[in-house]
Amino acid sequence: MSQPAVASSAHETTAALASGAASAPRSSMATVITGELTPPRSPNLLRPHVVEFRNVTKTYNAGKAEEFTAIRDVSFVVEDVADKGEFVCVLGPSGCGKSTILRSIAGLEPQHPATAGDVLVLGQPVVGPGSDRGMVFQDYTSFDHRTVLENVTFGLECQHLPRKQRDELGREWIQKMGLNVDTDAHKYPHELSGGMRQRVAIARTLILKPRIILMDEPFGALDPLTRLNMQDLLVKLWKEVQATVFFITHSIEEAVFLGDRVYLMSNSPGTILEELKIEPATCPAHEMQRQPKFLEAVYYIRDKITTLESNP
Amino acid sequence: MNSSFLDRLLRNWLTLRKPLSRWQALGLGMSCVLLCLAGWWFVTLGAYESRIVGPLTLPSPAETFGKFSELWNDFALTRNILVTLRRVSIGFALALAVGVPIGVAAGCFPRLHAFLSPLIMLGRNVPLAAVLPLMIFIFGAGEKNKVMFIFVAAVAFVISDAARAIMDVSARYIDTAYTLGASRWQTISKVLVPLAAPTIFSACRQMFGLAFGYIMLAESIKIADEVGGLGYQIQIFQRRGFREHIYLIILVIPVVALVIDQMLAWIQRQLFPHVYGGDGMLRALVRITLIPWEHLKSLLFYRRLAAPAAATEERPK
Repeated sequence: MSQPAVASSAHETTAALASGAASAPRSSMATVITGELTPPRSPNLLRPHVVEFRNVTKTYNAGKAEEFTAIRDVSFVVEDVADKGEFVCVLGPSGCGKSTILRSIAGLEPQHPATAGDVLVLGQPVVGPGSDRGMVFQDYTSFDHRTVLENVTFGLECQHLPRKQRDELGREWIQKMGLNVDTDAHKYPHELSGGMRQRVAIARTLILKPRIILMDEPFGALDPLTRLNMQDLLVKLWKEVQATVFFITHSIEEAVFLGDRVYLMSNSPGTILEELKIEPATCPAHEMQRQPKFLEAVYYIRDKITTLESNP
Repeated sequence: MNSSFLDRLLRNWLTLRKPLSRWQALGLGMSCVLLCLAGWWFVTLGAYESRIVGPLTLPSPAETFGKFSELWNDFALTRNILVTLRRVSIGFALALAVGVPIGVAAGCFPRLHAFLSPLIMLGRNVPLAAVLPLMIFIFGAGEKNKVMFIFVAAVAFVISDAARAIMDVSARYIDTAYTLGASRWQTISKVLVPLAAPTIFSACRQMFGLAFGYIMLAESIKIADEVGGLGYQIQIFQRRGFREHIYLIILVIPVVALVIDQMLAWIQRQLFPHVYGGDGMLRALVRITLIPWEHLKSLLFYRRLAAPAAATEERPK
């Protein structure tokens, strides 16, 4: 798994911000760090962008007293990179419209449709939700009436895949998620811990091989240790499925560890203030996250957020 | 020693929501029954003239239970119970068959709910005793009007409870189902209805108990040749002045209701192991019977969807 264009020396094993310190924030616009950091163009120039936001604004209750603009004039592009999907983290304070961006891509109401602007996925405007854009939520949304296996194979069942085939695939994915096929497959969600439930939720999404995986603070409710384990697992699986991941978090550590690219968002109305490139993780989360280079990157982002918030 | 015993007693009795064992609960319940029986026995003690409560108001326990064999044999108690149960069951089953689908649809589509809400409101608040004579005009004076009375009494509650249960399922389950590629119909049938089913079932279980009370009202009016039923028997005994028999039937009804309720509770536990624990025998049974249907669906629908699934396999990496 290589990431050819990141301009940092190969012996650096930590995540590091490659550039970007000089760029002054411009409000209402995504500040893209350009230069050598631009993702490589795929050989096929006709290949459409995975996700493209063109000046997207979402206003709720427009024209009424309780009018609220969740995101304003958000534009960004996630290109289709050959051989790998990108891992995009969206970092920002609570209520800054992170979820609005995610749910607009998913095509879920009421965030979809946008008030103004275009949301394009693979060059096509989003018309509604679909299994090509799988989503993992922070709340444990396991279907309580279904066993682990039935939860994992839900999407395949909806495609009317015959039972034998979908159970086989389901078992394979339960295994991949680090759950025990023999003991866990027939448990109900209420018998599982939070971490295990999120594993089921991730397996249920990945089994459908989505092109885009949308994750809305999926590890937000987990204890710190489980969280680190889940981060490692996610990195492993993501490399396997080669999908583009949008990952919402308000943990800077998580964003730096997981992300290839981090969008910093500001508060109401939400805009993307800054786009940062980050080197991919090279070792397990608990090791990675105490290396000085990693912490440097975290502090850098924290300072950045503080500056951005103080002078808008 | 003595005070510590008292302390323990007080702690056991006065701790808020202190859990107690099944046997303790049963024992306390039985002691209440015994206490009531003792009170009954005491107020009807002695010769007719010297009793605290006269025999015309309340016969003694011995006199009452002494009539049991007469009630059982001469007045065909079991047959009357079955006749009553049959009426309630058919009427209630009809109410479920009509009410649950409408309620589910109303829960899924707020516009339908808003449209139906005046009818539901009317059905829930209509004075049933006043409806009873109307039922005779509409459905005639036979078996049908009793069944339909239960239907009318229950259906509005079934609709509104089913709709409420569907609306109470968190929206995030719908979002999840949609992002996993479920269609609208699949989201209803595979997610909303199964998640709401335990709530609907337990609401209906309570309503069945109420319906069992309403049937007495319907049975107390006899116009045509329909026979039997506990309510009808009570009317006959009242006319003849058989107090003992009436008291016996009043005691029999809760026992029958309890047995039915326990049966429904068992079904509930076996159907929804994810809520009540256990091995879910009936749920497994339901799933097994659905397997041929699933195979059929795979044969019918999968071929059509196979192409896009294969396309994602081959997508450029």
